[in-house]
Amino acid sequence: MALATLRDVRFTYENADQPALNGVTLELEPGLVHGIIGLNASGKTTLCGLLRGLIPHFHSGELTGEVVVLGKSLLDWDPAELSRTIGCVFDNPFTQISGIRDTVFEEIGFGLENLGVPREQIIDRVSAVIEELGIAAIAEKNPNELSGGQRQKVAFASIIAMDADVMIIDEPTSQLDPEASEAVFEIIAQLKARGKSIVLVEHKIDLLAEFADTITVLYEGVVARTGPTRDVLGEPGLEAFGVRPPEVSEFAWRLAAAGKPLPFFPVTRAEAARAVSQRIEEVSRGDRTA
Amino acid sequence: MSVAPLNTIADGYRRVASLGNPILDLSPITLLLSIILVIVVAVVGSGWVAPVVVSVVFVGIAYLAGRGTRYLVNILKLWLVVGLLLFVLRALLVKGETVLIPLGPIAVTAEGVDEGLRFSTMVMAICGGVTLFFALVPMRHLTLALERLGVSPRASFVVLASFQSITDLGATARVVLDAQKARGIETEGNVFVRAKAFFPILAPVFLTALAATEERAIALDARAFNSRGPKTSLIQLRPTPAWEWIIVAVCALVAATAIYGGVVGWL
Repeated sequence: MALATLRDVRFTYENADQPALNGVTLELEPGLVHGIIGLNASGKTTLCGLLRGLIPHFHSGELTGEVVVLGKSLLDWDPAELSRTIGCVFDNPFTQISGIRDTVFEEIGFGLENLGVPREQIIDRVSAVIEELGIAAIAEKNPNELSGGQRQKVAFASIIAMDADVMIIDEPTSQLDPEASEAVFEIIAQLKARGKSIVLVEHKIDLLAEFADTITVLYEGVVARTGPTRDVLGEPGLEAFGVRPPEVSEFAWRLAAAGKPLPFFPVTRAEAARAVSQRIEEVSRGDRTA
Repeated sequence: MSVAPLNTIADGYRRVASLGNPILDLSPITLLLSIILVIVVAVVGSGWVAPVVVSVVFVGIAYLAGRGTRYLVNILKLWLVVGLLLFVLRALLVKGETVLIPLGPIAVTAEGVDEGLRFSTMVMAICGGVTLFFALVPMRHLTLALERLGVSPRASFVVLASFQSITDLGATARVVLDAQKARGIETEGNVFVRAKAFFPILAPVFLTALAATEERAIALDARAFNSRGPKTSLIQLRPTPAWEWIIVAVCALVAATAIYGGVVGWL
């Protein structure tokens, strides 16, 4: 059963002139990390809202086409049931905090309280997530007094704690430094290893290249490209949709343009390191010229 | 500031919530009822002695709870600003036979001074009670206690979020004011300069708050806030012991005596 199937989906927000999604057809498989990328206002957040059922249950507008989430038409889902099934965290960390809990520990446990999880289990699960995200130092702080980056981590932790099978994560690292961003992606990889399905909107293409199984490029509400990460990022012309390819891919293209192609096309830093090593070996063996 | 280890923090939630002081650990409902009943004593009396005694009692309770200094500072500010204003207005506006200070068409009369004293001390006793309650009771404990009495978590969220929104609006106002300051707009100085800088920011502050409401609602929904099943709580309040009801009963007896005293003219 597919995680989500969209067929010719168009959605125009109430009072908007242009559709936010304009004929999107997409199939997302379960158990994978699906990266969504594109310029601002390309429809990424609208797509997330649609998969999460916020459209049409929360945001009104004109929706056409077919959306099937976990085998059930979106219109047939009970919104409360959908919110339990699909966890989501959006990009503005200042509105992702409940605002009514006194400590980060309680904030992360808020969703579990609402689900009626017994206290002991809440304590264990929240402790585990705090350890996992490395935020023990702020566990007793008031969430309303945290920085944007700290709030973002807490919001992310809150959704992880709820342990939904599907997670929609909209720019989880927009306010984080490179080290913290990488840590968040490591956690996303661990979630995937635990069988979770993840839809991840992110601008940091290098990290997406490393962690996403598929990438969908949105441009003006249309799917410009979609497919396995390597296929999407390996094809030239991404810039036309406002997306810069990973640094290592650019590096490989420039070498190829200079007549010195790498033995295989890298999209991640690890692959680039392997490709460069292999080329150095070939040159040193005399198979190729430097 | 040192940070407690995570397991210590977690263990804190395994125990009954305690603020480390017998008064602070009273049930919020016990405190609420007791304070209301003590306020009744201040309201039913015809003079200013009972409200002043009640106010002093509140200060004493605040000190016993370890929150005395902060409470006293807050309450003194209230007395100086609101209490004094109420007293002056009453003293000037209440007509009487015994003129103490003639001021053109109005006059300060002995009756006005008496009424001003009675009214201002009574209002201050009420304010003192309300301030004391919020100084002693964390809002989360109050809402939990109310939920235990059957109030819906949704209603308690509204209460908590309303109080938090005051803080949030203040923080947003400061951000907008700082932004104005960075653009060279004068935001500091006398009251007119401050007012001139403050009033134009009200619209952006409230618009920002409104814009955030939708996203916050979605964030709450993502935390299963709309889930229909029973909810649990990380914080556990201790069950209210029987002796706390004795405190409420004593306060009720004092209030009833005060009401009777007011009727027969003791107070």
